[in-house]
Amino acid sequence: MNDWYRDVSRRRFLQVSAVAGAAVALGGVAAACTTGASKKTGTFNWMTWSDHYYDTQLDEIKKAADIGTNISELADNAEGFAKLKEVTGQLDMLSGDALWVPKNFDEGLVEAFDINSLAVSKQLYSIAREFEIWTKPAGYLGYPFGWSPIQIAYNPKFVSPAPDSWEVLLDPKYKGRIVVENQPVEVVAYMAKLAGIKDPYNMTDAELAQAKEALLRLKPNILKFAQQNTDTVAALVSEEAWLATSNLGAEDRVKDAGGSDVVTFIPKEGTIGWMDAEMIVKGGKNHDLIMPFLELAEQKEYIAENFIRYGRPLFNEGAYKILVDKGEQERADRYLYNKPETVLTMTLKGPGVSTDAAIRVFNEVFGA
Amino acid sequence: MVDPIPASHQPRARSNLTRGWPFLPAGVVLLVLFLLPMTVMVAFSLWRTNSDLDVVPDWTLDNYIYFFSEGTYVRTFLKTLIMAAAVTAAGIATALPFAYFLVRYVGQRWQRIVLLAVIVPFWTSYLLRAYAWQAILGEKGALNQFLMGIGLIDEPSRLFVYNDLSVWLVLLYVYFPFAALALYTALEKFDFNQLNAAQDLGARPDQAFRRILLPQIRPGVITACIFVFVPILGEFLTPTLVGGAQGALIANLIINFFRGLQYTTMAAFSFVIAGFVIVVLVIFRRYLRVEDVVARG
Repeated sequence: MNDWYRDVSRRRFLQVSAVAGAAVALGGVAAACTTGASKKTGTFNWMTWSDHYYDTQLDEIKKAADIGTNISELADNAEGFAKLKEVTGQLDMLSGDALWVPKNFDEGLVEAFDINSLAVSKQLYSIAREFEIWTKPAGYLGYPFGWSPIQIAYNPKFVSPAPDSWEVLLDPKYKGRIVVENQPVEVVAYMAKLAGIKDPYNMTDAELAQAKEALLRLKPNILKFAQQNTDTVAALVSEEAWLATSNLGAEDRVKDAGGSDVVTFIPKEGTIGWMDAEMIVKGGKNHDLIMPFLELAEQKEYIAENFIRYGRPLFNEGAYKILVDKGEQERADRYLYNKPETVLTMTLKGPGVSTDAAIRVFNEVFGA
Repeated sequence: MVDPIPASHQPRARSNLTRGWPFLPAGVVLLVLFLLPMTVMVAFSLWRTNSDLDVVPDWTLDNYIYFFSEGTYVRTFLKTLIMAAAVTAAGIATALPFAYFLVRYVGQRWQRIVLLAVIVPFWTSYLLRAYAWQAILGEKGALNQFLMGIGLIDEPSRLFVYNDLSVWLVLLYVYFPFAALALYTALEKFDFNQLNAAQDLGARPDQAFRRILLPQIRPGVITACIFVFVPILGEFLTPTLVGGAQGALIANLIINFFRGLQYTTMAAFSFVIAGFVIVVLVIFRRYLRVEDVVARG
């Protein structure tokens, strides 16, 4: 038995601890100095959703250009915004949706860039290079990636006649049979759409009261709030849920998971939607790696494969042509891949002046 | 000539200082991980969030006024207290016989194996365990299959999940080990001959239990109560996963403010809970003996 600890005095312990601490601190400073140097190879920090990349893609880029990625999982836009505010230059690239992109820019967290300086941007649908909300005099605010409207998915075995409106979510026939995302502001926005409110993220008190009225009628119909997309799919597969709100592609995901046929539609009142982009963090320690990385990662071959894996429209037109050649046109067209102008008809997700009020309305309805 | 400071006091002062050193790490931890965050939280709770989602240091009581003026939050907080009390009561009611049986009738070797079995679920993630309960209690879950299999019900029941009952059940499952371990530690130190002696002297079994056993394991019972009751006040995952639209507890409402970057409202609501917990701990401080749970010879 080793009794080494008996020989260690408190003074000696403190000395050893101090030396060890100093060594760790020096190591940290050295690492920081190293990463601070301007270079075109290395590893950068990317906060993103898991469907923005796949491992083989990142491995190939690492091998080809010696650019590695240190990825942290992004839960939602608010989290990304808050995190970036805290850590600023410790992140190098951040993914974000629609109006969250200018929000990050206005807060001085990300920088604009010349999107046309990237050769790969020529593969994008032209509309994706000209979104007004992402255009500033200093340049473009993000590299466009994917998009989707929020749809309603339903099981025709239990839901009839075929619905075409948000109103179906309030039908007492479907008590305890609906799953919606666990995103209070979005759920209130759906109800605002149902009430015909134009701008669900910037509502007046009167409009909020209308949305609350609808939310009160929705409450008994909610089975549960889905934490993630797989929860929604599982509930539709098990037929516990007959209706759900979801991104494009729910019907295929349910089918792939062994569920029965599910039909999806965009409500006639219009819908909420998202379109996301990669933002370059202002003052990121590995800032110089981002443009070379995007040049490689956004190539049409990778984007086509991304569509096949994760199934929702992306902004790369070149990838669409590959999908057609690979026999994936039916699915791509069904997912509106070839109709990127659809994004202009959606109410885009984003922070608004009624965020706090929307949460209060949600809590007041779903609290005890 | 009179010495202004008696010499005998100087070594004592130095000695007190020296004796205080071991508390320094704990003091630093308390300061950095508790007092500073609490101070920040209190400050946030008295500020406001503007429409740009920025925290603005304008001093106001609005966040607290909102909590106490909107019935939903007071009701949900009361519901949370009732849920925590119900789980704690059930936890003690199940863990006490379990620990009693284990200590009194099971050999040392098997005691350790059974205790290990109680702890084993902690090796898997909380999320996974909660999802497993969804699969057990769901409409097509194991419980419904079993009840239909034995002919007790004809079609799947929807009563087992997405309500307050399922939240209570899963919380009981999650927190049972905390109660069991605290009570086991208390009972292990008890000399059971005292119960025999009490009964030899004419006490009925229930009298012996109430007047001999219970007073001696009271610190363990209080510790178990606190270890179960307090964390449930901040529970949001279980209500989210098995409570559905009807099962929200106060932390679910608070987390919604967090997701919407309404940090000041969130801080005020959290501080109401934290304040309540502190009051509970102060009331029970004389019974709270952490060593009952962690120290075992």
